Amino acid sequence: MLLLTTSRDELLAPLQSVSGIVEKRHTLPILSNVLIEKRGGALTLLATDIEIQIRTTTEGAGTGEEIAITVAARKLQDILRAMPEGTEVSLVLDDKRLTLKAGKSRFALQTLPAGDYPRMQFNEGAAVEFSLSQKAFKKQLTQVAYAMAAQDVRYYLNGLLMVADGSELRMVATDGHRLALATTELQGDAPHTEVILPRKTVLELARQLSDSDDPVSITLIGNQARFQFGPIELITKLIDGKFPDYDRVIPQGNPKLVKAHRQALLQALQRAAILTNEKFRGLRVLLEAGSLKVLSSNAEQEEAQDELEVDYSGDSLEIGFNVSYLLDVLNNVGTEEVEIHLNEPMSSALFTLPGNSNFKAVVMPMRI
Amino acid sequence: MPAIRKLPEVLINQIAAGEVVERPASVLKELLENSLDADSRAIEVHLTQGGIKQLRITDDGCGIAKEDLALALERHATSKIASLEDLEAVGTMGFRGEALAAISSVARTRIISRARGTSHAWRVSEREHEPMPAALNGGTVVEVDDLYYNTPARRKFLKSDATEYGHCDDAFRRVALARPDVGFQLSHNGRVTLRLAPGDAERRAREILGDDFMAQARMVDVASGALRLFGFASLPAYARSNRDAQYFYVNGRYVRDKIIQHALREAYADILHGNRHPAYALFLELDPAGVDVNVHPAKTEVRFREGRAIHQFVFHALTRTLASPVQAAVHAIAENEYSAQASPTEQVHLGVEEPVLARYFSAAQFAPAATRAPSFEALTAFGSRNVASGAFMPNALPQTTQGAPLGYAIAQLHGVFVLAQNETGLVLVDMHAAHERILYEQLKHVLEGTPGVQRLLIPAVFNASKIEMATAEDHADTLQRMGFDVAPAGPNELAVRSVPALLARASVTDLLRALLAELRDFPATEVIAARRNELLGTMACHGAVRANRQLTLPEMNALLRDMEATERADQCNHGRPTWVQLSMNELDKLFMRGQ
Repeated sequence: MLLLTTSRDELLAPLQSVSGIVEKRHTLPILSNVLIEKRGGALTLLATDIEIQIRTTTEGAGTGEEIAITVAARKLQDILRAMPEGTEVSLVLDDKRLTLKAGKSRFALQTLPAGDYPRMQFNEGAAVEFSLSQKAFKKQLTQVAYAMAAQDVRYYLNGLLMVADGSELRMVATDGHRLALATTELQGDAPHTEVILPRKTVLELARQLSDSDDPVSITLIGNQARFQFGPIELITKLIDGKFPDYDRVIPQGNPKLVKAHRQALLQALQRAAILTNEKFRGLRVLLEAGSLKVLSSNAEQEEAQDELEVDYSGDSLEIGFNVSYLLDVLNNVGTEEVEIHLNEPMSSALFTLPGNSNFKAVVMPMRI
Repeated sequence: MPAIRKLPEVLINQIAAGEVVERPASVLKELLENSLDADSRAIEVHLTQGGIKQLRITDDGCGIAKEDLALALERHATSKIASLEDLEAVGTMGFRGEALAAISSVARTRIISRARGTSHAWRVSEREHEPMPAALNGGTVVEVDDLYYNTPARRKFLKSDATEYGHCDDAFRRVALARPDVGFQLSHNGRVTLRLAPGDAERRAREILGDDFMAQARMVDVASGALRLFGFASLPAYARSNRDAQYFYVNGRYVRDKIIQHALREAYADILHGNRHPAYALFLELDPAGVDVNVHPAKTEVRFREGRAIHQFVFHALTRTLASPVQAAVHAIAENEYSAQASPTEQVHLGVEEPVLARYFSAAQFAPAATRAPSFEALTAFGSRNVASGAFMPNALPQTTQGAPLGYAIAQLHGVFVLAQNETGLVLVDMHAAHERILYEQLKHVLEGTPGVQRLLIPAVFNASKIEMATAEDHADTLQRMGFDVAPAGPNELAVRSVPALLARASVTDLLRALLAELRDFPATEVIAARRNELLGTMACHGAVRANRQLTLPEMNALLRDMEATERADQCNHGRPTWVQLSMNELDKLFMRGQ
């Protein structure tokens, strides 16, 4: 029974959109499959890991019988990727196997019934809805996502706090050592809502969103969030927990202000990072009027030193950092200049952008 | 409710006996200690039916005078201490004045003793406290018959004769090991089972722990101020699956002390595989005033005034001994086989110049290139150490093994093992395991004393018990030094504000809980070092050469030289051996040569 005939690229693009969340190893075999559904001329691909579900819908899949089947997502994707571009492919379902034909190639894949596929039902009820451009949302995500914890026992840190309040959308992430916060304007007026998006959802969104002005609309109901953009609909569970009071850890009035050229500082740090200890990546920063020096040494007692001119007129200061934390901040803010507010060698450092109160990053120092 | 009344003397003694006299072995221990306190040079023990029927101990000590003999069986009567000052600095094994009274309350007991310089001996028994004249050449004989004859309930708890004899044998060995200067003899049912002539500590240890142990043991002798630790500790290769060969003495007294055991366990932590237990016979000497033995009547527990100092001393003394590089071990093997003295191979090898040449090459050419030493200083230090080790080689060893106890590589087997030949025969090296240990030790050296500390943006707060709260407060300084900034955040909560940078990714709460638990029970802890070493172990494992990596001869020689210069190179990070020696004798046996 012919399922559909289409070009390789038409099928591969939506498949790649959904298969990113399919985990490699499973105890539940069906979760490594993707659901392929054709109904009324629309082709729907759906994948889930039970926490997140992504669905893409393409119109114009042609007529034919309505059908739903699941097949191994990664294998199908690998097969399609290995085909030359523009190849005409057809999917044929016979008995329990899905056969993919393209030219003289032929692949028969095992299937599992669509009825067994675990689909997430999106909550019904009073929803908080708002939308903004994909570009703005993506930029905001990348400005904070790196500060999320990974596999921390404080599960609520393994995600990103999203606060919608009036015409403002704020995102905060922290792993207990550093914190990043970014705010953007919202179209519309949302009531005050706080949710924690799981780490995997955040990374998947950052991967899928485009740099276009097309909107992404966000719906929050209970313990679920839904993101709709282009042909993609992503539903995710939320982390149920209390995010730490982030306002309290953002230092106020650090007296020593450094203004530096971001690219120059980033490159100096990247060079010095090569000779830091590979495990704790400690690096010393030496501030004097008009100059910023970075010093690092590693386990083999190799040393690196770099210096750049900065706008600084305070007292001299020596402070240690995990260089990865500094690189993360500098890599993910797309500006010419950065401002660093410092105080004592063991008190936190605040990173801001000149003339922009929407971004803040806090990094705790390290005693080396 | 019956009225309160004073218990009869016999019942008091029987209650005391419950603590001291558990089984024949405990009677034997008490009596042996009495004999040693009496300055005996030779002690004989005769057991009948596992010591239950009769236990007789004969010594040649100073004996007991007639007037003292009457008091010997009384409770709280002793010649060993007289005042509190004596008790605080007790130098004798016993001091409570209870043992004989307790024993005589549960068994038929007879003492015959002749004090030095008196004309004849006197005798007392548990019924006859008034001394009667008796015949004896000198010293003291104590006979304990029918243990628990008057307390059948306790008699039921005794095991078979063979088991009780086994316990007596253990107790006997424990005492004998500590006093190599005294001769001992043990006989059971009329047959002599163990005869130990007076001699030195090494001979006594060999007689009691066996040749296997001594072949794999390293001698320990470290002193610092009034503290001295000496004896023998097994190398991991002799590790056992149980704790039965662990002898630790404090001022000659066998003890099982928590602090000491912890220190020993940590000293072995880095080199012992899984659940294996080390074997050792170690003697700790310190000022008697620094240790309180009056903790339990059986005196296997002690309390140290300076628990922390003792712990650190034992830990470091043993670590240093166990860590010393390969040379010593090979030396031990060569000596044990006595091959250095009379074997014909010596003559053949002596005239050959080749190994010396190879040594020159390895030191001057291969070693520096292959050494991943951290700095130039370390590199030169490495070189000079190699040369120095050659200079310190005992004369008994053939000249040609100078500087190369592990010999020179001849081939690689299936990309896994390095084959090398040395003076003794063939050396097989597991190259991954060996390289892993070398990298691991290098990492440890480099990271020693660089405690980077990561401040936390959001303090990790956790619920703590009252004990944990108190421990954290008491040891705030220690924790601070390790890089933890811990402070109470509430009546039941602790907040951590900084952690050691190397462990910044670990779960702070778990780590601190483990740390506090250790700090509570033990004066010092290596938890942090252990966690750090785990991490370094993984790094070393990933950095080490893998199986199937083809090595050239110079590379293999460099590996062997590195092993010789590395501490604990005999075991990989997981306690498995890194190399084995197949001697020419063993190889000859395989081919039945000369048989």
